[in-house]
Amino acid sequence: MSILEYNGAAIIGMAGKDCVGIASDNRLGIQYQTVAMDFKKIFKMNDRLFVGLAGLATDVQTLDQLLRFRMDLYELREEREMSPKVFTNLLSNMLYEKRFGPYFCEPIIAGLDGGGSPYLATMDLIGAQAHSRDFVVAGTCEGNLYGMCETLWRPDMDKEVLFETLAQALLASVDRDALSGWGGVVHIITREGVISRELKGRQD
Amino acid sequence: MFGPTLVIGNDILDIGTSKFDNERDQRAIGGGAMIPRFAFGEPGQFDVPNVADPAHFCRNNFASACGNSDANQTVKFAKGTTTLAFKFDGGIIVSVDSRSTMGAYIASGTVKKVIEINPFLLGTMAGGAADCSFWERNLGMQCRLYELRNKKRITVAAASRLLANTMSSYRGYGLSMGTMITGWDETGPQLYYVDDDGTRLHGRYFSVGSGSTYAYGVLDTYYRKDLTVDEAIDLGKRAIYHACHRDAMSGSINNLYHVTKDGWVKIHAIDVNDMHYEYLEDKKNAMASS
Amino acid sequence: MDTVFGISYDGGGACICGLPVVVLATDQVNARSILMYQQNLDKIAQLSSHSAMGVSGPNCDLVNFSEYISKNLKLYELSNDGRKLSTHAQANFCRGELAKALRKGPFQVNVILGGYDDMNPRGGSLYVMDYLGSCTKAKYGAQGYASNFCLSIMDRDWGEGMDEDMAVKLVEKCIRELEMRFLINQKNFIIKVIDKGGMRTLKFGADPADN
Repeated sequence: MSILEYNGAAIIGMAGKDCVGIASDNRLGIQYQTVAMDFKKIFKMNDRLFVGLAGLATDVQTLDQLLRFRMDLYELREEREMSPKVFTNLLSNMLYEKRFGPYFCEPIIAGLDGGGSPYLATMDLIGAQAHSRDFVVAGTCEGNLYGMCETLWRPDMDKEVLFETLAQALLASVDRDALSGWGGVVHIITREGVISRELKGRQD
Repeated sequence: MFGPTLVIGNDILDIGTSKFDNERDQRAIGGGAMIPRFAFGEPGQFDVPNVADPAHFCRNNFASACGNSDANQTVKFAKGTTTLAFKFDGGIIVSVDSRSTMGAYIASGTVKKVIEINPFLLGTMAGGAADCSFWERNLGMQCRLYELRNKKRITVAAASRLLANTMSSYRGYGLSMGTMITGWDETGPQLYYVDDDGTRLHGRYFSVGSGSTYAYGVLDTYYRKDLTVDEAIDLGKRAIYHACHRDAMSGSINNLYHVTKDGWVKIHAIDVNDMHYEYLEDKKNAMASS
Repeated sequence: MDTVFGISYDGGGACICGLPVVVLATDQVNARSILMYQQNLDKIAQLSSHSAMGVSGPNCDLVNFSEYISKNLKLYELSNDGRKLSTHAQANFCRGELAKALRKGPFQVNVILGGYDDMNPRGGSLYVMDYLGSCTKAKYGAQGYASNFCLSIMDRDWGEGMDEDMAVKLVEKCIRELEMRFLINQKNFIIKVIDKGGMRTLKFGADPADN
């Protein structure tokens, strides 16, 4: 079993019309044993920027703390919020710094850029960026997630349709994956604010 | 003219007799070539690798015994299960999950892991699905032949022994099977555990599969011989639920059977997820009332 | 090999206005390879007056880690006019050190950390973490092979409003299960409670001081 699959995760970032969504499951496992059903994998960086971290749970928590620190420092120094693009480069560089002893995490970045249009990016565990205009996925059931997103995604979804699409794509995917699931969470980022909802998922 | 081995007709009923054993021994001495035979349950029935030690070859390339011993083999088997069965004053309860996984992928959530061998015999399935279903079907055939020959039903002890013998004759070939054979015979309710290395145990209750430790936790704590039928059904159901909740490789539907002197009846097939919320509600009510 | 349990409960007389209190329990075996050295070990290390952690792992890592953590927390108290870290902060410090150690010869210890925050209306809390440094807050937890047998029992029996008696009975149910099913013989267990009054040893199978 790969280190990236040790704890289990499923994360989707998806774009709508003037809104962007990010969703993850809740499971923390140690291989096939489920340890917690309320594990946080999506972190709010600022009001218009969320990052989801799939992979080894210890590195998920370490990276969250490091990112939080860098974000706060940036905001204090610059007196403005970091844009998603700058954030992606920051994270990419942080990951590549550990090229020969990487953090075992695949991040998903979802946010609204300066103009208020959706921004989605993902990268591998050493920081190779990939950008997308429709959706990005990461986790132990990547194949399932791609399948569901390819099927359900439509251009120009409003925030409610985007929520529904994310929820259905996530729940259907994790129901076919042993290492993720046990409920989920969806955040929809709009210009007016963030809508966060808990998903009731299968408990087996 | 064609040698003594091609036996059909009356001789097919000779399984388990000395005549049968003698013939088999003769064949073993004379036999190098693959001769069509009807003696299931002994090596030679299947094509084996053309190497000096086929069992050794199988072990290194397809071995799938329990635990993580198949980490580096060419062929990996899908497994991950929780099954359990217990005897009590009201008969026997057999309760299983229904998830089938290939690695982390959930291949199916509607697998029948209780094999209805005949109206009085049940087998459970853990380990390789193909191995379990084939050899328990084969056991069904052997039991039927016994019935025809002896004009009475086979005992659970004898049936489980037939399966254990099959397993020991294929020992080292990489079969993967952990099963419980249960039923009601002239000696009353019986429960045996049989696995791929030929182990055969008689006991009051067993649980098999990756989620078995979780099921044992509940079973050991709450099992009593004098459970009522309803209590027993609830225990069987709960033990599977708790295993499915914690074990990633177990889940989906809980199938539960009750065996009495009149044979087995299927009690229910309930989604484990529905049980979760039912038990959550029960817990809330219990806490509110205490 | 080692067993650690942690259970929080929020009912009964000991709990002030329903704030949770924490019970920790571990086995008392110190063994290596096929040899058992002692059966009266205390694997619950006190971190501050109102917190402790149950640690499992090789004796060397176990002692080094728990002393390193407890002494650093003590140092924090001494250099900050006796101000204590909250249980949450202690758990995060612990996690950070485990994560740091992971990439330079890890501490092979799995931890359940429990504490009671007097200042905080939260009361007692419990954190489960593994040697990699994955940390999560929990109502109850188990570490080691025991988790395979006992998590289902805890799922079955744990409930809101449990009192101390019920929580200890639950721990004892888990211990009984291990006696029955677990291959390794763990004769003695030590059980400690952390509540408003601090930490107290509830019972043990063999006195850790007896050597």
